[in-house]
Amino acid sequence: MKLRILLADDHEIVRRGLCALLQKHEGWEVVGEATDGREAVEKAKQLKPDVVILDVGMPNLNGLDATRQLLQYDPNFKVIVLTITDSDQVIREALDAGARGFVLKSDAARDLVSAVDALQHKRMFFTPRVNDLVLAGFLDKGHVMSKSEPPSLPTLTAREREITQLLAEGKSSKEVASLLNLSTKTVETHRSNIMRKLSFHSIRDLVVYAIKNNIIQIEMPPQIKTPPTGSPAA
Amino acid sequence: MTIRILLVDDHPIVRQGLRTLLEGRPGWEVIGEASDGLEAVDKVNQLNPDVMVLDITMPRMNGLEACRVLRQKAPELEILFVTQHDSPQMMREALDAGARGYVVKSNAARDLLEAVETVSQHRVFTALHRRDSVNSC
Repeated sequence: MKLRILLADDHEIVRRGLCALLQKHEGWEVVGEATDGREAVEKAKQLKPDVVILDVGMPNLNGLDATRQLLQYDPNFKVIVLTITDSDQVIREALDAGARGFVLKSDAARDLVSAVDALQHKRMFFTPRVNDLVLAGFLDKGHVMSKSEPPSLPTLTAREREITQLLAEGKSSKEVASLLNLSTKTVETHRSNIMRKLSFHSIRDLVVYAIKNNIIQIEMPPQIKTPPTGSPAA
Repeated sequence: MTIRILLVDDHPIVRQGLRTLLEGRPGWEVIGEASDGLEAVDKVNQLNPDVMVLDITMPRMNGLEACRVLRQKAPELEILFVTQHDSPQMMREALDAGARGYVVKSNAARDLLEAVETVSQHRVFTALHRRDSVNSC
């Protein structure tokens, strides 16, 4: 019987690469694909795959919150998160969310097959850096953050995190309501609660917060040359 | 029409995805891969491709710098950026650096084949704006 895999990444070209990689392995089958965390959760519930591979930085619902939702629905789901960064905070959130595998996107061609294989055999797979952190005992020490790290989200509910992501992505309350099947008034109540809990007064604050807490991810461009202020554009 | 293509991206899995897409077109051949701008410059010298598909954000030498270098060293080479940066400013920078094309990574599955064909004919292809689609592998 084949191992059934669900794959979620917002970039089709990445999904194609991952599919090509996974389907070289006899006995594995990619049974579904999703372009964001919300679609991944829905498809996982429908398809009941053996392994779910989730990119962390996806629109609408990020991979970490999708992991939380999946495991809340059914703790037997086996999730591998794919990420562009192995910062302490992302590692901590992935482990807290219940991921059993953690693979850097840059190393996916090397590590993903090993990670799926590990989960297939009821083991976990983490990068050396995750192993170092686990060995250092941070799990036993709870969730103490160093002063340089941004705060986690203890005060936000799962629904508030979802709404935080959608608002930080630039969606209006009406759009959020439509996506989540809520009334606009309910979304606005959530929005007020979020802003109050976090003591924020603008969406800009919320966007910065969402980036710092890996609710949304951005790729920084290389430094590009811009004409000095006042000079004519090239 | 035969087109010899060099793929440059620091993520092997992205290169694999691009390769899968490009090699589906009869006559097109991915003749090499590179993982950063410096390696790309070397590979262009060795392999003399017709088209280079190039990422922007990469270690050691980014795509914009590689593009500027290669514009001087290999004027016949057509350069097509495939990047995460959905930004008119970045696209302008890429074209100024000497690229003939610019495609946003999230749209690569939709735009890449047309873009490669267009730049291989020495014409400009640019496409911004996110529009996702799902195709099964």
